[in-house]
Amino acid sequence: MDIIESKTWIEWVITIAKFAFCFVPVLYILLLIPMERRGAGFMQDRQGPNRSYIKIPYFGKIRLFGYIQNMCDGTKLFFKEMFAPAGVNKVLYYVAPAIPFAIVFLSPCVIPWFGPMVFDWGDKAVRIPGSIIDSDVGVLLLMGFSSLSAFGAILAGWASKSKYTFLGALRTSSMTISYEVCLGLSLMGILLLAGSFNLTDIVSWQENHVWGIVAQPVAFFCFLIASIAETGRAPFDVAEGEPELVAGYHTEYGAMQFGLFYMGEYSHICINSFLIATLFLGGYAVPFVTTETMQAHMGGSLAILCGILAFLALAFLHMLHRYSKKLAATQQTHRFEVLQEYKLYKICGWAAVVVFVVLGACAWFLFNPANMAINGFAIGSFATALGTALIHLLVLVVKSVCFCWVWIWVRWTLPRFRYDHVMHLGWKIILNIALINLVVTAVIAKLVGGN
Amino acid sequence: MLALIYFIVLAVIALGSALCVLLARHPLYAGLSLVTSMVSLAGIYGLIGSPFMGVVQIMVYAGAIMMLVTFVIMVLNGARDSKTPMFDKVSLFVIPAVLVLAGLVGFALVRSPLAFDATTLRGSVELTSKTLFDMAQTGPGYFLLFEVLGLLLLSAMVAAVLLAKKRLGSIETENTEVKH
Repeated sequence: MDIIESKTWIEWVITIAKFAFCFVPVLYILLLIPMERRGAGFMQDRQGPNRSYIKIPYFGKIRLFGYIQNMCDGTKLFFKEMFAPAGVNKVLYYVAPAIPFAIVFLSPCVIPWFGPMVFDWGDKAVRIPGSIIDSDVGVLLLMGFSSLSAFGAILAGWASKSKYTFLGALRTSSMTISYEVCLGLSLMGILLLAGSFNLTDIVSWQENHVWGIVAQPVAFFCFLIASIAETGRAPFDVAEGEPELVAGYHTEYGAMQFGLFYMGEYSHICINSFLIATLFLGGYAVPFVTTETMQAHMGGSLAILCGILAFLALAFLHMLHRYSKKLAATQQTHRFEVLQEYKLYKICGWAAVVVFVVLGACAWFLFNPANMAINGFAIGSFATALGTALIHLLVLVVKSVCFCWVWIWVRWTLPRFRYDHVMHLGWKIILNIALINLVVTAVIAKLVGGN
Repeated sequence: MLALIYFIVLAVIALGSALCVLLARHPLYAGLSLVTSMVSLAGIYGLIGSPFMGVVQIMVYAGAIMMLVTFVIMVLNGARDSKTPMFDKVSLFVIPAVLVLAGLVGFALVRSPLAFDATTLRGSVELTSKTLFDMAQTGPGYFLLFEVLGLLLLSAMVAAVLLAKKRLGSIETENTEVKH
């Protein structure tokens, strides 16, 4: 087959392996749910759910700082009975939760997870883009997908045949349409500067000039507000509206069908965080270091990365040390159990420190892949490209996790909006600011020069 | 070969859901089939080297316009219209119109050369923007047309708002209008 022979086997392996990135939003759910719950606890000066445990020999009850709660919730949702209330439209009722969840797997395809991998493979320069679909229309495709995902909520609301769900569905559709406009318009400024819809191009523009948040601060805030509104979380949770509409469009859903909506919402947060990090925070670009510098000193870069990770592990150990000192001084009855549990974490922490230090030292002394220049382009070995991709990916993940925290932060600190206030904010304030920002950007870009 | 397989799959989905639009009893099902049809059409656009057209199709038609249409269907009808007969007097006009249109399109398709290379770009971002805005290449024609279309849409929107506002005013505040 021609199509198979058009690429070397390593290209095929990486191209297929990149499809694993489709599951990143689903994995982020595991991170986001404990983060949300413990974050809410942090905001409200309480512990948050951290009591579920797994019992293992010697160390006793292992709670993993509330992560076990996740497993309990998931198990509960999976084993609950799936039911449909009488009078619902059966087909649409069962199809609706699947739509937002299916879109979740499509959306990560256009996000560049690492810079284009350029390396030398058997006297052949190979270039592999960092996104699954390296398309000219990247960001538009993402917007299209996110507008399609609102159909799930609308159909769910309609198919449930209940007044609350119906009102929730109507609100979702109107919110999606109005905030989609704001989202698109606030995006235009950075697209204008980068001169491309392709997310990889936008990131490389930011890498060579300044980050989007510096070039387009107004657009950044418009985009942030609009994308928080689009995920439909508090303070913009008019579609679910617990005080008014029970639970909005998914009032009639239970068990894993509700779980799909819930997971869809969290994955939407993940996608939007990745999008903001890519558009305004330089995406996979490492701050203050160009990719070329990093590739020229690959061993050193990997060693620094390992050093940072080892430092984080040490910080974790320090936190544990302080907790256990505080706990040992109290008279709480369960303190010995907890201290026993902490022993496991301490062992893991020290193991991580040792592993990272050893890895870092190995990278520093042993890993010095040769780089060569062909036609002016620096083309490294496969190992260099892989190391660069790893660093890029970690940087992007760190940036996006920061934004995930912004979502939780906003949710638990701001009071919720009334429905007409949301519409007022969308159409009369953010839309106009985004338009003015676009015009100003266009004029300045024209005056400064360039196309 | 691969492109042909994709095309056949997408075309079958598009045609099937377009038929469903005609045959569906409930307007909401018709709307949903229209969405499916539009999404698969977007796929075909992407397949023939016009990714920009395809994405705009998804964003504007499948995303925004069909969302509004479902909104309107849900607000106006809800569950009431599920007993609509499949054929009524209007079908006397609709069915011949559909048949004639299908015949015309089929005739045009048979007459036109169908062979094309799927790898050439026809509607990419760059090509579309060049055709629309590069005055050196095409003259000011398309550019002016584009702007005029924008004005037309704006005036249509303003007119719609005015009409809706007038009706609201006449129902609710009939007396206040006389006073002025």
